[in-house]
Amino acid sequence: MSTTFAPSTTKLEKLVGKRLRRREDPRLITGTATYVEDVKLPDMHHAVIVRSPHGAADIRSIDISKAKALPGVVAVFTGADIVGVGTVPCGASLPGLRRPDHHILAQDRVYLVGHPVAVVVATDRYIAADGADLVEVEYDIKQAVTDPEKALAPGAPAVHSQWPDNVAFTFHQNGGDIDAAFAEAEVVVKQRITSQRLVPNAMETRGVVADWKTNDRSLTLYTSTQIPHLARTLLAGMLGIEENRFRLIAPEVGGGFGSKLNVYSEEALTAWVSMKIGKPVKWIESRRENFMVTIHGRGHVDYFEIAAKRDGTILGLKLKLIQDLGAFHQLLTPVIPTLSVLMMPGLYNFRNIQAEVVGTFTNCVPTDAYRGAGRPEATHGIERMVDILAAELGMDPAEIRFKNFVRPDQFPFPTATGLNYDSGDYANTFQKALDTIDYHGLRKQQAEARAAGRLMGIGISTYGEICAMGPSVATPAGGWESATVKFEPSGKVTVLTGTSPHGQGQETSFAQLTADELGVPIDDIVVLHGDTSIVQYGIGTFGSRNTAVGGAALFYALQEIKEKLKKFGAAMLKAEEVELGDGVCLNPKTGESVTVQEIAGAAYRGVVIPPGMDPGMVVTKFWEPANFTYPFGAHIIVSEVDAETGDIEIKRYVAVDDIGNQLNPLLVDGQLHGGAAQGLGQALWEQGVYDDNGQLVTGEFMDYTMPRARMMPWIESSHTCTPSPVNPLGAKGVGEAGTIGSTPAMVNSVVDALSPLGVRHIDMPLTPEKIWKLTNGRNA
Amino acid sequence: MKIAGSAKLPFAAERAYAVMQDPLVLAKAIPGCDALEKTGEDEYRLKMKMVLASLSGSFEGKVRLTDSNPPRSFRMLVEGSGKIGFMKGDGLIQIASAPDGGVDISYEGDAQIGGTMAAVGNRMIDMTARMLIKRFFEKLAAEPA
Amino acid sequence: MIANPFEYSTPATLAEALGLIADGAKPLSGGMSLIPMMKLRLASPEHLVDIARLPELNYIREENGELHIGAAVTHYDVESAPLLCGKCPLLAETAGHIGDIQVRNRGTLGGSVAHADPAADYPAALQALEAKIVLRSAAGERVVTAAEFFIDTFTTALEPGEIVTEVVVPVEPGLTGTSYQKCLQPASGFAIVGVAARVRRDGANFGAVQVGITGLTGTSYRATAVEQALVGKPATDETIRAAAAHAADGVEANSDLHASADYRTSLAVSYTTRALHSALSRSA
Ligand SMILES: Cc1cc2nc3c(=O)[nH]c(=O)nc-3n(C[C@H](O)[C@H](O)[C@H](O)COP(=O)(O)OP(=O)(O)OC[C@H]3O[C@@H](n4cnc5c(N)ncnc54)[C@H](O)[C@@H]3O)c2cc1C
Repeated sequence: MSTTFAPSTTKLEKLVGKRLRRREDPRLITGTATYVEDVKLPDMHHAVIVRSPHGAADIRSIDISKAKALPGVVAVFTGADIVGVGTVPCGASLPGLRRPDHHILAQDRVYLVGHPVAVVVATDRYIAADGADLVEVEYDIKQAVTDPEKALAPGAPAVHSQWPDNVAFTFHQNGGDIDAAFAEAEVVVKQRITSQRLVPNAMETRGVVADWKTNDRSLTLYTSTQIPHLARTLLAGMLGIEENRFRLIAPEVGGGFGSKLNVYSEEALTAWVSMKIGKPVKWIESRRENFMVTIHGRGHVDYFEIAAKRDGTILGLKLKLIQDLGAFHQLLTPVIPTLSVLMMPGLYNFRNIQAEVVGTFTNCVPTDAYRGAGRPEATHGIERMVDILAAELGMDPAEIRFKNFVRPDQFPFPTATGLNYDSGDYANTFQKALDTIDYHGLRKQQAEARAAGRLMGIGISTYGEICAMGPSVATPAGGWESATVKFEPSGKVTVLTGTSPHGQGQETSFAQLTADELGVPIDDIVVLHGDTSIVQYGIGTFGSRNTAVGGAALFYALQEIKEKLKKFGAAMLKAEEVELGDGVCLNPKTGESVTVQEIAGAAYRGVVIPPGMDPGMVVTKFWEPANFTYPFGAHIIVSEVDAETGDIEIKRYVAVDDIGNQLNPLLVDGQLHGGAAQGLGQALWEQGVYDDNGQLVTGEFMDYTMPRARMMPWIESSHTCTPSPVNPLGAKGVGEAGTIGSTPAMVNSVVDALSPLGVRHIDMPLTPEKIWKLTNGRNA
Repeated sequence: MKIAGSAKLPFAAERAYAVMQDPLVLAKAIPGCDALEKTGEDEYRLKMKMVLASLSGSFEGKVRLTDSNPPRSFRMLVEGSGKIGFMKGDGLIQIASAPDGGVDISYEGDAQIGGTMAAVGNRMIDMTARMLIKRFFEKLAAEPA
Repeated sequence: MIANPFEYSTPATLAEALGLIADGAKPLSGGMSLIPMMKLRLASPEHLVDIARLPELNYIREENGELHIGAAVTHYDVESAPLLCGKCPLLAETAGHIGDIQVRNRGTLGGSVAHADPAADYPAALQALEAKIVLRSAAGERVVTAAEFFIDTFTTALEPGEIVTEVVVPVEPGLTGTSYQKCLQPASGFAIVGVAARVRRDGANFGAVQVGITGLTGTSYRATAVEQALVGKPATDETIRAAAAHAADGVEANSDLHASADYRTSLAVSYTTRALHSALSRSA
C-alpha cells in the first residue's frame, strides 16, 4: 500500500460549461474511426438485396436459378424461405391500430419501391450485386397511391386490400371546451399547411455485419443504430435467439437524426442469413437504398382553424392532421403525429383544442422519427397560424405573440394537450431576440424597402419543444437512462452510458461532468457506449435525451460513487468525517488526505473495507425522470426575395434558445447550427417526391437538395437560461431545437416579404419557381 | 408524365396511317428497336436497346395499337422493361391533312418511367422523351410516300 | 452502387487508344459522368480505355491567335491556367462554375464536351466563342464547330470510334467583355440555365455580340435573335432588356422537378440580361 497521506496540490480547472473541443473529432476527421463498413471478419460473406421497382405489385414468380448458378454466389433466399422469422416491430400502442404484417422479405406482394424481395449472398460484394441482377422477378403491377389525401378519397387503390379505406388509425385529442371557444370567437382563420416528406440522409448509410457462431448459439451484430439495447431485445425476439447470447455493437455511427432509431428488415435479414449459412455476413446500404428504404420524416397535411378575439387573444385551435405513414409501421411510425398533437399549443396560453389524426397508408417508405419527430410539424403549423391570424387582425406578429405567451407565473403550466410545461420565461427570451436584431429598426427598413419596390421579409418563430424523452409512461420501451461509473484499480475512470451518442459529443461532455464531479483529470476518463456486452442496459439516443436523461443518470451515479469514495477514504484516514473535493478526500481535523485514485486502488485490493461496504469502486445507476423538459426559444430571419427569379436571400438569422444549463456550449452550437441547417433544408430545398405510380423521383442527391455549407447563413446565436427543474443538471436538451425553430422563421419571413402581393401562406419547400409564380416575374 | 406534341409527315392521311401501323416500318422507326414480332392482332413483342450518352440498356416489352379509326386516329401503347428500369407510354395519335399535301400529326398521352431511371434521371426524362419521339417521326418521314 | 465487371486499359499512346476504341472500347476521361452511371448500372461498358493520362491530350497552347486545349485537360486547369485566364477568360470563368472542386479536379474538358449533357456549362461558352472541336478516330481527324457538334440531348457529331481530342478557342481581343451567368440547380449544381456572352463595343453602341445558352433545352445553342437585336444598337439597359427577351425564341424548353418550361424560359431571359450587363461592363 502506497498511501502518501499528503494533500494534493494541483487543483483541476472546472470543465462543465467550457467550450471543450470534441475528443471524438481527431479519429473522425482523420478517417480512423470504425464504422460498420470497416468491420471485416474472417470468411465474411456479402449480401445484396433485390428490391421491387414497383410501388404496388403482386409477385407472380421469382426465378433465382441464374443467380444461384453464378460462381461465388453461396445462397439466394426469397420470402418463401424466411419462415419463423418475426415481422418488423412497431412500438406504438394506439387503440385500434391496424398493423400490416411487415415481413423482412416480401411474401406475395410488394408495397413500395425498394421493398425487399430476395437476398443474394456471395463471397464478395461485387458478385452478390451481379447475382442480384440475375434474379428474375415477374410482377403483376397494380395501381399505387402515394398521396395521403388521394389515398383517403373514395375509390382509391387500397394499399392493403384488407383495409380499403387506407386508414391505419384515427386518434383524437381534445382539451377544454372547443365549441365554447369557437362560439366566443370574434375571428376564425383557417389554413391547410403541409409538411413535406424529408429524407434524413445521415452521412453514413445503414449497414450490418452479422456473425453467428453455430456452436455457441451466439450472435454478434454490428449495426449502425441509435438504440443498441432496444434493437437487440427486439431483434432477439424476431430471430428467436437468446438475448444473453446476442451481442449488439453500434460502432461509430455516422449520424442518425432518428432514421436509426429503428429496427429494420435488413438487420434481421442479415442476421438470419448468417445463421443460415453459418458465416459472417455483411450488408451495406447504398445511398440509393438509403433514399428508398430508410424511413423518411414529416409527411403531413394539416388543416388548421384558430379561434381568436379581435385583440389577438387566441381562444382555441382545431386541427385535422393527415399523416402519410407509408406502407408499413416502422418502430414509431404511428406515434410521431401524436407528438405533433401534444406540441400543438406551442408557447401559447390557450386551453381549448380539438385534434384528429388520420394515419394513412400509402405506397411509400414509412415515415418515422426524423430530427424533431412531430414537433417541427407542430411548431411550423402553430407559428404559421399565429402569423396568419396576426395578418388577419392587422397586428404585428411580435405583439400577438407577447399577448398569448404562457406567463412565468403560470409554471408548471398544464397545457390543453395534457403536458406540464416545466419552466420558462418566453417573453424574456423573445425580447432578447427582438433586441438583438433591432426589430423596430428592421420594420422601418422594411417600410423603406417596400416603398422602393423591394420584397423584404421578417419572420418570427417562437417555439417550444418536448425533450428528454421521457418518463416511461410516455416512452414505449422505457424513458429512463443508465450510467456506470467505474474506477479502474489504477485510478483511471471508465464511464458506461446507456445512451448511444453518434455525433452529439457525449464522450466529451460526459467526461467533463465526470472530471468535475470526481476531481479526476479529463484525460483519465473514458466514456464507452454502444456495446450491449459492455454497457448495462440503456434506452439509447433520441428525443434530445442524452444529457437531460443520460447525463442525469450519470450525475446520480457520480454522487453515489462519491459517497463510496468518502466511506473508503474515511476508513483509510481513520476519520469520522471527511470532505471530498478536487479529487481528494480530506480529514479536516488532521489535514491528512488521500486521492480518489488511491482510494479506488485500495478498494480493489480490499485493504480497508468499511463495514457494510463492498470492495471495488463501481456504481451503476438507472434514473427515471418525472417529466419531459421543455426547451424554447425565438428565431428571427430577415430575408429578401428577388421578384424576377424567385431567389431568396437570407440577410440575417438571429436565434435565442433556452435549453437550460449547458455542459459544453461548443457542442450546443454544433447542435443548433446543424439543426438550423436541417430546418432551413425543409423550408427551402428538401422534398421527398413520389410520382403517382410510386416511384421516388428524388431518389438521389442529383435531385434531392441537401443543404450545403455555402447555402447557410451566418447564425447569430445566443441564449437565455431557465434551468429545468426536472433533472439535477438543469439541462433541457438541444438536439432538435435548431430544426424546430428555424423552419417557421424562414417561411414566415418569405411570406412576410410577399405579403404586399396578398400572399398569406406558401407550402414548403419554398423553391424559387413557387416564389416566381407568386411574384409573377415582377421587375422582369 | 404528360406527353404531347406534334409532327409533320409528307404523306397523305391514308399512307401516314398505314405507315404507322406497319410493323416493318415501326421496327425501323422506334429508336433502338432490335426486333418487333407480331404476337396477336395489332400486338407486337418489342426488343430494344436504348443508347444515350453513356447510358445503355436493353428493354423487352410490347407495342399495342388500339382504338383504330383509319385514317384519323389510333392509340399506341408501348411498354418495356429491363435491368435499368421500365417505361410505359400510352398515347392517342391523330392525323389531320395539311394544306401542303402532307399531314399534321398530334399526339397526346401519358408516360411512366420506373426503376433507377426514374430515381436518378428526372432532369433528363423530358428532353429524352422528346428527342426519341422526334427521331421516331423523322424516321417515318423518310419512308417512301 | 456497384458497377458490372469491365475491362480497363491504360494505353500509352493516342494511336493505341484509338485502336481499342475502334474495336468498341469506351473512352474514360475524368469519369465524373461515366462512373456514376456505371455504379448505378445505367451504363455497363465492357471495356474502358483511360484517355485522361495520355500526354497527347494534356496541353494548353497558343498558336496563331488561337488557344488549343487538349481533351484531357481538367476543369480545374481550364479554370486556373494563366494562359486561359488571360486570353480566354470566358472559358476559364465557365469552368469555375462546374460542380464542386472535387469534380473540377477530375472532370475534363473533352469528357464534358463529348458527353453533351444538356445542362453542362462549357457548351454555352463554346457556342459563344465559336469554338472548334477536333475529332479523331483511327481513320483520321476532322474539325467541326461547336454549333455543328452539339446536336441534341446527349447527342453530338461524334461518330462511332471517334473521340474529341482538342478544343480550339480564339484568343480574346483585349476590348471584348465576356461573362458566364448560371442559375444552378441546387441539388446537383448543374445549370438550370447558363448564359455565356461576349460583347464588343462600337463607340456607344453594341458591336459584335455572341450569346450561347445551355440548360434551357436539349442542347446548347447560339441565341442569334438576341445577338441581332443588339448589334448596332445603343449599349443601354433598354436595348439589353429588349434583346434578352428573345433568348428562348424558337426553343422548346425543358421541364423537370426543379424548373418548369415556363420558369426556365423566364430564367433564360433573366440570365441573358445579367450576362449581357456583366459582359458589357467588362468590355472596354
Ligand atoms: C457531383 C457532380 C456535379 C457536376 N456538376 C456539373 C456542372 O455543374 N456542370 C457541368 O458542366 N458538369 C458537371 N458535372 C459533370 C462533370 O463536368 C464531368 O466531368 C463531365 O460531364 C464529363 O467529363 P469527364 O472527363 O468526367 O468524362 P467521363 O465521365 O470520363 O466521360 C463522359 C462520357 O464521355 C465519353 N468521353 C470522355 N472523354 C471523351 C472524349 N475525349 N471523346 C469522346 N468521348 C469521350 C465517355 O465515354 C463517357 O461516355 C458534374 C459531375 C458530378 C459528379
